[in-house]
Amino acid sequence: MHTSRRWTRIRRPGSLTLALPALFLTTCLQALPAQEVPISFDDFHGFEGAVEYVREVADAYPEITELLEIGRSTMDRPIHVLVITNSATGTTLDRHVPLRNMRKEGVDNVPPMRSYQGKPGIWIDGGTHGNEYTGTEVTLYIIDKLVSGYGSDEAITRLVDENTFYICPMVNPDGVYNSVDRGISQRQNSMRRDDDGDGRVNEDGPDDMNGDGLITTFRYPDPEGRYVLSQEDPRIMVRLDRDEETDRQRYSLVREDSDEDGDGEWGEDPMRGIDVNRNFPEGWFTDDNSQGGSGAYAASSPESHAILEFFSTHRNILLVQSFHTSGGFTYRPFARWPDEEIPGPDLTVFDDLMGTKYKELVGEPDNADLWRHPYRDDRGRPYGFGIFIDWAYAQYGSYAMTTELWNWRRDTRGLPGYQGEEDRGAWYAALLAWENRPFDERIFVPWEPYDHEQLGEGEVGGWVSTYVGGNALPGASLRHVAETHWQFELYKAGLLPRLEIDSARAEVLYRSSSAARAQASSRGNTVTIRPQGGLGEYRVVKVTATIRNTGPLATHRTQGDDLAGNREDAIWLLGDRDRVKFLQGRAWQELGVLAGTLDVYEEGANQRAVSWLVAVEGEPSLKLVLTSQKGGTKVRELSVR
Amino acid sequence: MSTKQKIMLLPVCILALALLGPAPGLSQEKLQESPGGYHGEQDFPISWKRYYSYEEWTGIMHDLQDQYSHLADIQSIGTSRMGREQYLLTITARDTGPHQDKPAMWVDGAIHGNEVNGITCSLYLAWYLLTRYDYDEFVHDLVNSTTFYILPGLNVDANHSYVVHPNTPNNPRETYRPEDNDGDGLYDEDRTEDVDGDGELSYMYVEDPEGPLKLSPDGHLFVEVADDRERVRRFRSLGPEGFDNDGDGLINEDDIGGPDPNRNFPYGWNLDAGNPYPMSEPETRNVFEFQRAHDNIFASFHYHNTGRLIMMQAPPRATEEELTEARGEYGYYYRRRQMSYEDSLAFLRGKNKYAQLFEREVAPQYQHDMDVQTAIVTMGAQILKNYEPVIGGLSGQAHAATYYMLGAYAYLMELWGSPAFADIDEDGRVTNEEYLRWIDLELHGEGWIDPHPVQHPDLGEVWIGGSPTKHIRRTPPSRYVEMEAQKNADFVLFSASEFPEVTFHDIQVTPETGNLYWVDVELENDRLYPTISDREIQLGTAVMDRLIFRSSNNVELLPMPQEETRFDPVNPAASADGVGEARHEFRLRGKEIRTFRYLVEMSGSGGWVEFQVESKFGGNPSERVELRVSN
Repeated sequence: MHTSRRWTRIRRPGSLTLALPALFLTTCLQALPAQEVPISFDDFHGFEGAVEYVREVADAYPEITELLEIGRSTMDRPIHVLVITNSATGTTLDRHVPLRNMRKEGVDNVPPMRSYQGKPGIWIDGGTHGNEYTGTEVTLYIIDKLVSGYGSDEAITRLVDENTFYICPMVNPDGVYNSVDRGISQRQNSMRRDDDGDGRVNEDGPDDMNGDGLITTFRYPDPEGRYVLSQEDPRIMVRLDRDEETDRQRYSLVREDSDEDGDGEWGEDPMRGIDVNRNFPEGWFTDDNSQGGSGAYAASSPESHAILEFFSTHRNILLVQSFHTSGGFTYRPFARWPDEEIPGPDLTVFDDLMGTKYKELVGEPDNADLWRHPYRDDRGRPYGFGIFIDWAYAQYGSYAMTTELWNWRRDTRGLPGYQGEEDRGAWYAALLAWENRPFDERIFVPWEPYDHEQLGEGEVGGWVSTYVGGNALPGASLRHVAETHWQFELYKAGLLPRLEIDSARAEVLYRSSSAARAQASSRGNTVTIRPQGGLGEYRVVKVTATIRNTGPLATHRTQGDDLAGNREDAIWLLGDRDRVKFLQGRAWQELGVLAGTLDVYEEGANQRAVSWLVAVEGEPSLKLVLTSQKGGTKVRELSVR
Repeated sequence: MSTKQKIMLLPVCILALALLGPAPGLSQEKLQESPGGYHGEQDFPISWKRYYSYEEWTGIMHDLQDQYSHLADIQSIGTSRMGREQYLLTITARDTGPHQDKPAMWVDGAIHGNEVNGITCSLYLAWYLLTRYDYDEFVHDLVNSTTFYILPGLNVDANHSYVVHPNTPNNPRETYRPEDNDGDGLYDEDRTEDVDGDGELSYMYVEDPEGPLKLSPDGHLFVEVADDRERVRRFRSLGPEGFDNDGDGLINEDDIGGPDPNRNFPYGWNLDAGNPYPMSEPETRNVFEFQRAHDNIFASFHYHNTGRLIMMQAPPRATEEELTEARGEYGYYYRRRQMSYEDSLAFLRGKNKYAQLFEREVAPQYQHDMDVQTAIVTMGAQILKNYEPVIGGLSGQAHAATYYMLGAYAYLMELWGSPAFADIDEDGRVTNEEYLRWIDLELHGEGWIDPHPVQHPDLGEVWIGGSPTKHIRRTPPSRYVEMEAQKNADFVLFSASEFPEVTFHDIQVTPETGNLYWVDVELENDRLYPTISDREIQLGTAVMDRLIFRSSNNVELLPMPQEETRFDPVNPAASADGVGEARHEFRLRGKEIRTFRYLVEMSGSGGWVEFQVESKFGGNPSERVELRVSN
């Protein structure tokens, strides 16, 4: 394949913020109010809150947002994408090319493109795993920043004018609903499936044994257990290492659950289905085992189906960010394959460019652990199959990455009594002592004795998983996490290609006001020319243009244009078909892939020069339409001089 | 044997055998008589010498279901991209049980939009089953015991367009997902059209002094200019009829049609052929989801055109490791073939000219599937006369998913092949001259478009013609539609009649000493198909067959270990397949008899033993044997 040739120095893209006087700013930009829809991060939104918020935003900002429903989950919840872009800008090729003599029966299978498809796109999602709803919160934070900053912040305004943001707060709404709104942590989607083969579907999942309205844990003494009571505070359970010895009483912890269907097992047929992030077609496990947690086949779940269909019909996405928890680092592709499968220039973009910035934003520029890929180099085997970002990079052609948000030690803010110590016990203790919490909900339920049907005597209580289970602490911690990643998205969006047609000229080479058609016939060495009907005003025009990409990234990832469904950039010269005849050059010309301005590309590869020779009758107007899938569509009218 | 308890050995045996009567009786009234070979055709008159549009064929399906509602159900399994319902007929006798409780045959046609022969073949099969039910014992039994899921048109949007509107034989093939074939940024913008409005899509030629073609002397077609010095009007080909819709100077460069639906299935799927993602097309996804939800589907037929092929799904090739392991301690024992492949085939063909043999070597756990498929397609070759069986491909095809993911035996039929009729010089190709000759002779000239000049708005004067009409090359002319349908229905019916059936071949009671008795039960599947495919076992989704023992209170089953020794002619238990348990799990292969041996103790002078078979695809027969001691 390609050698992993690394460039040691990358010319960083130029600063996005122009140094304009403040006065000039306020007079030439629209003075939109900043935040029309207030939002708080003192608690989790959950499914209901997130849907309500995006609906309110779409209502409040009709000129720059549009709410789409791209599918429905198994339990019929909507999967929403909020499109953020200036709806007054942007165009697509199909509205410029008139079609004639189409088939009489007129099959209308091609819907007109939306103007937001004519701009470079960036996709951001959260909540693929239902219990990783910090991601949902971060997407809402990003939405708030974009719509509130539009019109007042120059960088944001430019980005929203020129690009399209596709933001999907909950890829897996059923999982988020169960995890937050119902308090039953569910990573997977929901499915109607008879897991235990007893003829009933979803009849036995976690449930509230002690009637306190929460699903917490049941702890019981167990000589094989992996937990002991914390020395500092016996309310806290500490997990032992795999081979750790102890002479303290061992406990086991299980989720609150009873045997609802009386079959001797508990929790054996819950609502949860498959892991959506193993249900994508790149490296999906197509081997003999067609069952399992990755779905019956790639794209079988309604959630991945909705994403795949959306991407297939919206080919302008060049950047993909998926938010998960936890750990506080970012994965770039692949999970399935080793790095040899990624071309060198792409590795440079990922690691040297984006990775460097990410580590800098997190505040630990030398921490190599912050930027990784999931593939297990040390064991020579995949981390997983059918991962979303693998597909988005390999088959769709975007720079895709997954961020595992929330590192409790690094990201905790505003927790009295905790100063960033390594000791988890100290963190737990600080949590328990936290009195002026921003959110009202309980984080800890005191242990109460309970007699479990199968496991015997023990206690119910412990941490409420919604708040202490791998997600950010609402309040200052969550805001800090969101802000860091908002800055990263802002940075990446600034890397998107920016195409322009400059120096476009139509130069008349020959003109006649009394031109006529003619026909030529030859016999031997003599050619006889017979004039026919008159044409009137007639010109031979040379059209030239230079196309340039002033953005850092190319309009495709390396070899991305070769992928099925993708294409090279192209440019059309359009005018009245009956009066414009192409003498040299076809109506549309291929431009290959316009490189960006980064050092990783060849010098001059970010521009093209095109020319045509056309014969023009009368005074029709000409226009150039530059059309790039991920670079956007640009139009330039030409006046013939 | 004590004289006090003289066991009536013979009568007991006779009693047992007498109970092994015919299968549960027909629940319908007696069949109608069929004078003069009449089998109900006029009960639902229909022409099989034509093709039907979407409205027509779905209307026929609804009418059939309406008239034969005791045998058929109709449903839509989902909608197509353009909103058409995919209608499916479920055919089985309602009175003998619900459709999902019987082994089912899946039949679909025309996944490729232009391969509409499959629609008539599927529809014919449905009509055949329903009209003949009261007149034909074979059909009667089949419809009583088997379910048929028949989806005549799969790619309904393209099917409809192909039948009703002018089209070349090659398009529309795919589903209607927008696709930018020429990379110009527009989708499906330059399609073929009927330029001269004659209702046919032919080919365009333009005069070109450098062109390689000329009009043939009889004026029927364009032929190559053999002699360069010939002074004749020359032409060059422009491709199929059409206009330059988008003004880019090219014609028909981006026709309607997206991904190939028969590369869209999940098994062996790849991006280039099956894009954008597995099961992306509603038409194919609806089909696969239906099949997944109906696990009683035992085998499937998928209709395509053209080529006269029976493409069967075969088990995977054995890896070197599997072959080495199979040889094991027996050395080369597992390599069954002593002769070369060619010699073996020649040997078989010497006895049966339709014999088939495939070179693929499979691992032992798949050998039965390989043998079964070979046997089935051998009969298929015999029934269809001039079709060739081959092994089908993977790469996201429907029948690969059916076999490899669901464990059902699958066949892709490439229907019709004009070479059988028109290839006079037998070089495997049919040139336009050969088509013309055949059309003149057998179709009396119908089916040919003569070249004629036409004014083209973008090109000036062009000549259009010199080609066959739509239903010649790929799909049969209308007069041959019934012929293809009849033969193919026969093959489907044959396969369905070979679905497994478990029966009690024999039950023997042999007294041992005292009040102990040996009971030997022989279960038979005398059909070609096994009760469970090898593939389903390997997938881990198999529900094994079960034999359950019950007895009266005074009869007790004595536990017995299975003998370890392989060959012991003295100990009969050693040769049984299953010994002495109340529940046996097993699988019956095709044409197999399995023996189960029980040792029972009866106190008192009378009692009974009962055996219940539970086989998902083979049925649930049971037998009870009364034991009476006479004095």
